[in-house]
Amino acid sequence: MKQEVLEALRNIVGSDWVVSELDQTKGYLYDETELLIRPDAAEDSVVVKPRTPEEICEILKYANEEQIVVVPRGGGTGLCGAAIPTETSIILSMERFKDIIEIDNENLMITVEAGVTLSELIEVLKKHDKLYFPIHPGDESAHIAGMVIENAGGARAVKHGIMRSHIRGVEVVLPTGEILNLGGKLTKNNAGYNLLQLIIGSEGTLGVVTKVTLKLYPEPKYSATLVISFDNFKDAVAAVPKILQEGITPLAIEYVDRVIALEAAKHIGEKWPAEKGNVDLIFMLSESKEDTLYDSCMAIEDICRDCGAIDSLMADNNKDQQKILAIRSNTYTATKHDLADSLDITVPPAYTPDLMNDLMDIAEKYNTKITSVGHIGDGNLHNNILLVDGKLPLYYEQMKEDMYKAARKYGGTITGEHGVGKTRMDSLITHLEPKKLDIMRGIKQVFDPNNILNPNTIFYTE
Amino acid sequence: MNIVVLLKQVPDMEKVKFDSERGVVDRKSAGTEINPFDLNALEAAVQISEKLQSQVISMTMGPPSAEEALKESIARGANDGILLTDRAFGGADTKATAVTLANAVKKLSSYDLIICGEKSVDGDTGQVGAEVAEFLDIPHVYYVDEVRKIEEDYITVVSNICGGRYIKRVKFPALISVTKDINTPRLPSLRNKMMARKAEIKKWSIDDLKEYLNPEEVGLKGSPTRVKRIEVPPEIKRQGKVCRNNISSFVDEIFKALKENKILEG
Amino acid sequence: MTEKAHKGVLVYAEHNKGIIHKVSYELLGKGRELAEKLGAPLYAIILGPKDIDIKELIYRGADKVFYIEDDVFNKPEEMLYKINLVEAIKDIKPEICLIGATTFGRSLAPRVASALGTGLTADCTELEIDDSDKLIQIRPAFSDNILAHIHTVTYPQMATIRYKEFFEAKRDINREGEIVKKQGIIPETRLVEILEEIKGDGIDITEAEVVVAGGRGIKTPEDLKLLKELADLLGGMIGASRDLVDQGYISSDYQVGYSGHRVKPKLYIACGISGAPQHLAGMRDSELIIAINTDPSAPIFNIADYGIVGDLYEVVPMFIEKLKRQESIA
Repeated sequence: MKQEVLEALRNIVGSDWVVSELDQTKGYLYDETELLIRPDAAEDSVVVKPRTPEEICEILKYANEEQIVVVPRGGGTGLCGAAIPTETSIILSMERFKDIIEIDNENLMITVEAGVTLSELIEVLKKHDKLYFPIHPGDESAHIAGMVIENAGGARAVKHGIMRSHIRGVEVVLPTGEILNLGGKLTKNNAGYNLLQLIIGSEGTLGVVTKVTLKLYPEPKYSATLVISFDNFKDAVAAVPKILQEGITPLAIEYVDRVIALEAAKHIGEKWPAEKGNVDLIFMLSESKEDTLYDSCMAIEDICRDCGAIDSLMADNNKDQQKILAIRSNTYTATKHDLADSLDITVPPAYTPDLMNDLMDIAEKYNTKITSVGHIGDGNLHNNILLVDGKLPLYYEQMKEDMYKAARKYGGTITGEHGVGKTRMDSLITHLEPKKLDIMRGIKQVFDPNNILNPNTIFYTE
Repeated sequence: MNIVVLLKQVPDMEKVKFDSERGVVDRKSAGTEINPFDLNALEAAVQISEKLQSQVISMTMGPPSAEEALKESIARGANDGILLTDRAFGGADTKATAVTLANAVKKLSSYDLIICGEKSVDGDTGQVGAEVAEFLDIPHVYYVDEVRKIEEDYITVVSNICGGRYIKRVKFPALISVTKDINTPRLPSLRNKMMARKAEIKKWSIDDLKEYLNPEEVGLKGSPTRVKRIEVPPEIKRQGKVCRNNISSFVDEIFKALKENKILEG
Repeated sequence: MTEKAHKGVLVYAEHNKGIIHKVSYELLGKGRELAEKLGAPLYAIILGPKDIDIKELIYRGADKVFYIEDDVFNKPEEMLYKINLVEAIKDIKPEICLIGATTFGRSLAPRVASALGTGLTADCTELEIDDSDKLIQIRPAFSDNILAHIHTVTYPQMATIRYKEFFEAKRDINREGEIVKKQGIIPETRLVEILEEIKGDGIDITEAEVVVAGGRGIKTPEDLKLLKELADLLGGMIGASRDLVDQGYISSDYQVGYSGHRVKPKLYIACGISGAPQHLAGMRDSELIIAINTDPSAPIFNIADYGIVGDLYEVVPMFIEKLKRQESIA
């Protein structure tokens, strides 16, 4: 990065908060994308750590004038390279936006600054008996604003939906330097196009989110986590739609191959509770009455038994439940060294068994295995293409396309929650009709006429 | 063979709130659970019983609601639960608690082994086990992280004590206190959980123990230690001192702080 | 029982195979202070093998030392210790009896207290004498979230005291005191038999009292030796951020972070760790945090008690050198 740019940035945020030595910027160049498919970062990028929206305005105005690329960065937990600066960039780290601005007990809402992590949010809510935020994408070091602009999903979506369902308002700085407040505490608001919804899931291409208002919920009094084991994935997968059709709505239904569960448990020094069988379904439930909770658990177990389940364990205290969630949350990190690509294709939940059958055939075609873990209750499994001898297999692209095709066959999408970022732009071109992409490009153009904010993300912008 | 597991119902520590201004502990909203260390004791007992076909009896002293903890212990493999509950038991310190538990154990037809957890997360004392052993006049071994062997009259365990690991062979009847390293407690199956919800828990009051117990020895009356007051220290704030130049003298300052905190010898 | 019947402060001096445990000196330091307030003598008692250098207990403040000498006390067998200690306390009749809250002390003290029929307060961190000459025992409870002030209505007033809560008593080789040697009571039949001592090798970073952790600032795997040296001097373990584990510098047994181990040591020294949220989640509850990083904007400085903006390859050797110099003085 040119000296004059560093100088200008130092003038805006102070010299301590401009970091340009590669030694120190290294940690800001990549996210959690699989090593062999992530794009290379431009190592001459500079990291800037502003503290106020006004400083961000100035940085963006300057970058806009000088035509310098700006890439916003949160906790770096993304999985599709959205936060990777592929050309010389100003990396805008939001780590100093740490304040909890307001907990509104009456409207059940919380307003936080962008850089508050999910784990910090959970900590704060622990001090308030009755408040609870349901979204849990796995890695608790994610920034809340990162979860907004990536529209995070994760477990617990069966009952509560995804991040989008819980965001009431954001403060956002536009690439042209204006600060906008979108949404608010309203439950209903019909005043024009809903720009808030555009920002959610925009992967850092439309604006820099600095503040977020989230909806909170009264914490359910009784909760439990069931681990139900099966001999094979077919039995497990078949049980899920039947449970949903019964009208039972757990917070989450997760699927995990036993090999993955064991590896993840070992990775964090824990023990996976189930021993019998080869695959597990994890059900997380919460209810306001204890009897209802047990009734749901029994109903789930009955259906699973009918489908061939061989064992079922129940955790109902916090620690045991957190332990299971922690193991589940670490499945990706623990197995990442074996992964070429962990897809997040999503189909309507009832078609999951059909999709999984197709995927079995695809694996057979390439003489490999697909390991799976994920949000089966949402029709959103992470199906893993494995490395072969530590390398991307030659069939990787072809196999991935086959898997995407299978998803489309059942009305599915190529990404349910990770986003397109910089690793799936080519796939998006095949996936979406050209007109849709045109409209998206048009929107980008309106927000960011000089194409300085995270260009070449989601779709090619030049 | 009969194994008694001593356990305690404790508040969920993650949810207990501490008010430093008023100096009070609010555990009302916290919910309760079996003391985590006691789950290791229970698991150790159940593992032995699976090998030797022995009976596992879990026992606790507490309010009537502590029945829940005993039901949970049945879900996790205990055969029976006994709740010592009486207003007269209230306000007990470790000695009065140990006297009560020890005499309830005497009332059992027979026992060979008593297992307890290292300590409770609320009281944090770790004293009750050894005190029970003394009142029963049986040997005890603390900090057991492995059971090596069980013979007709002996149990051989590894005790992690005095900076070493010692293999100790103890004659029955005996009490052992286990650490969290001894095992990973299993989760109950849903079916056991359902079954345990309906289980009958025996409740013994001071009347039921009158052959064994002097009423003067229990509860607040029988407690030689008394809490005069409770203080909730405010959360410690980080120093947040940052140094860029003259690092050597800053390191001196750090050493001073390490000595004040007894991390370094003064 | 009347108060006059009990006089003096008795410190139980712990040893391991004849080497006196430092907690004993800490208790003598505090015991001296209490004894002076009460105008009472300070006693020490040690049950140990032959030839322990027990004069040291006098140099550290004891007026009178009871030495129950027998080689059986080379092994940590609580039952034997109990019988002897109980008899001795019955003879000495102290008003206060202090035992270190080491693993052995925690196992022995409740046994002794119940045999004496007296109360026992566990794991105290502070002791005071009130206006009526009674001992106020202050101890944390609820996982260290509260402090309880406790007094005992029976005698002796007994407490176990946490290690490293008090300063060691100053050593004065001109101090004089009385040494009383006693025969041990060794029963014929023993219910507990120590068969063997085994050496452990388990790595458990969550148990370490001091963690010296390295991150991206560590350039080669060999450089971890520098951290190891510092950790050894502080009686701690080394730890690592995820980067080092991912690069294969060190095994994941040492990884601190959300996807690693969560540690809560007394002292955490972060060397060349920037403090990504991933890492902070695993160590932010450490009691004292020192951070060394060349980048003044590193988030680790936000949660550090002491932050040093500097190169770990210069700063860590400064720590090592100062520690070594201190050792050579002591």
